[in-house]
Amino acid sequence: MPPRRQPQPKSGPEGPRPAVLLLAPLLLFALQGVAAAPAAAGGREDSPGLQDAELPRGLLQQAARAALHFFNFRAGSPSALRVLAAVLEGRATVNPKKECQVDLVFTTDHYNPEDGEEHLGKCSARVFFRNQKPRPAINVTCTRLIEKNKRQQEDYLLYKHMKQLKTPLDVVSIPDSHGHIDPSLRPIWDLAFLGSSYVMWEKTTQFLHYYMAQISSVNQWKTNDDAIDFDYTVLLHEFSTQEIIPCRIHLVWYPGKPLKVKYHCQELPTPEEASGTEEGSAVVPTELNNF
Amino acid sequence: MKPLLGTLYLLGILVPEGLGYDGSPAQPRREVVEETVSPWRSLDTYSYTSYHPMEEIYQWMIQISEKYAGVATMHFLGMTYETRPMYYLKISRPSNNPKKIIWMDCGIHAREWIAPAFCQWFVREILQNYEDNPRIGRFLRNLDFYVLPVLNIDGYIYTWTTDRLWRKSRSSHNNGTCFGTDLNRNFNVAWCKTGASENCHDLTFCGTGPVSEPETKAVSRFVESKKESIVCFLTMHSYGQLILTPYGYTKNKSSNHEELIQVGQKAANALKKKHGTNYRVGSSADILYTTSGSSRDWARDIGIPFSYTFELRDNGTYGFVLPASQIQATCEETMEAVLSVLDDVYEKYWDSDSAGKVTSTAVGLGLLVSFMSIL
Repeated sequence: MPPRRQPQPKSGPEGPRPAVLLLAPLLLFALQGVAAAPAAAGGREDSPGLQDAELPRGLLQQAARAALHFFNFRAGSPSALRVLAAVLEGRATVNPKKECQVDLVFTTDHYNPEDGEEHLGKCSARVFFRNQKPRPAINVTCTRLIEKNKRQQEDYLLYKHMKQLKTPLDVVSIPDSHGHIDPSLRPIWDLAFLGSSYVMWEKTTQFLHYYMAQISSVNQWKTNDDAIDFDYTVLLHEFSTQEIIPCRIHLVWYPGKPLKVKYHCQELPTPEEASGTEEGSAVVPTELNNF
Repeated sequence: MKPLLGTLYLLGILVPEGLGYDGSPAQPRREVVEETVSPWRSLDTYSYTSYHPMEEIYQWMIQISEKYAGVATMHFLGMTYETRPMYYLKISRPSNNPKKIIWMDCGIHAREWIAPAFCQWFVREILQNYEDNPRIGRFLRNLDFYVLPVLNIDGYIYTWTTDRLWRKSRSSHNNGTCFGTDLNRNFNVAWCKTGASENCHDLTFCGTGPVSEPETKAVSRFVESKKESIVCFLTMHSYGQLILTPYGYTKNKSSNHEELIQVGQKAANALKKKHGTNYRVGSSADILYTTSGSSRDWARDIGIPFSYTFELRDNGTYGFVLPASQIQATCEETMEAVLSVLDDVYEKYWDSDSAGKVTSTAVGLGLLVSFMSIL
């Protein structure tokens, strides 16, 4: 399957690890069957399901990002966060309701790259965008790069480190204007990114995608009841509009347990909102609670 | 001399702090946010691996033009909305032959700090190496460099004093209820047709009309006046790790699109060799998003053949707030990319080196033939 768009596969010194990819081809096989099914009106014969004019630009990348945010959130591990390396292949269909289903394979890299080490992971995913409604449906499988015990160990080390931080935390923003994060505060950034992954997953659509730009304030940092209770405000950068979206996030984390997240974001200015950004009650509910 | 004095006088009014031209130590700055204020005096101690506030960049430009007087001169371009002076550096080796121009601007978007850092790095690299480095030296035989280290000065200052993630200019609209135009949507090319907003609250606000902003006017007027001589228009941004060719306002391609892609790809390859960083190359509409009113598209459409937008590091991990610790690597690799583009541009317009090759080949062949006739 030819790649949908430009992104070149990342050429590392060694390719993606083949060992644990048994699932991937099987999954792809299954996905192919499904993806071939209802093509949207006016599809080209040569590539069923792919209509250049109708598909949003960079759709495969969008899907990869959404899938990765979801994956990071589900993994619930601030020491094992992944970022997108490259989309290898994919195909997409659009139905008459303008909902997009994307099946794709992509590679991932460490969020915190260790010097010299490049461990490219590989993921296959099915992503269903609901025409600009939030919460794309995601099915994603990734090669396991770190053995589970090791990952839990690393998480626990991070957790211990966080427990030792003196509260109240004396921070204005992370990173500072010069991009510097004090090493002792690095775990906070990673944990904040984990929480933001949940938010960014939910908000990603076929047109909108997000990056975590800066933690603008740490409102509360508690370590009672053993879990880390973290209340912070993060600035998300939405790429297509270039807007900065402040989100208040409250998460509870304990190593090995699923992450609990509550959040509230300022809404993106839409064409109807002539007066600029407004808090809270927009058409689409943003306050979600998986506690 | 007079224009320079006038410039200094202007500077004295508008940028009162940190210059200390009367010899007195610089006044402590009002708006200290989180930076360390180090009152450097000499260019030798200027750090190219840290981010500098605008006053320091102004001072740096003056010192550059003093240290490299004869090759580097500082010129007034226009005024910003908040009435600050815009200066560019012209790097030019005096000679009798007519020169072509390479234009580079940085910091059209305020929060993209790595871009002005690169402009400063670029200037230093050229000036420090043009005498000893033949690759760079040959450029200066036929090319002049015009470098605008910070285009959106008001916005840049605002990111230091108030909001690190500010993007637009600081022009006032709607009776002071909203601020800033996206200067890269304000140029006169398909103005506000797509990928831009008419709402002054939005970050892609295209302004009140094409070239409505003083910063855009200043750049437009100048570039237009020199367009016959400008062969290369480079505008530096972050982030995304992209080399973008025209257009953003349409999926149609420029007449020299194939060539632009080829040159761009070669530059991306050169960049990658330095530190392994991956850049993608393509037209803005193809690999980024639609935009109208961008400086790159406008430059191409007034006839400047090699027009590129560079989106520097990174890919979103730190985004606009790229750690200062990455400035060096980013600038080194970007330098390779820009030099690669300059190589291609130079070879396209001045065949002197290939002529030289032909000559030496002819000589070699001639010698070989002579030898063979002796045997």
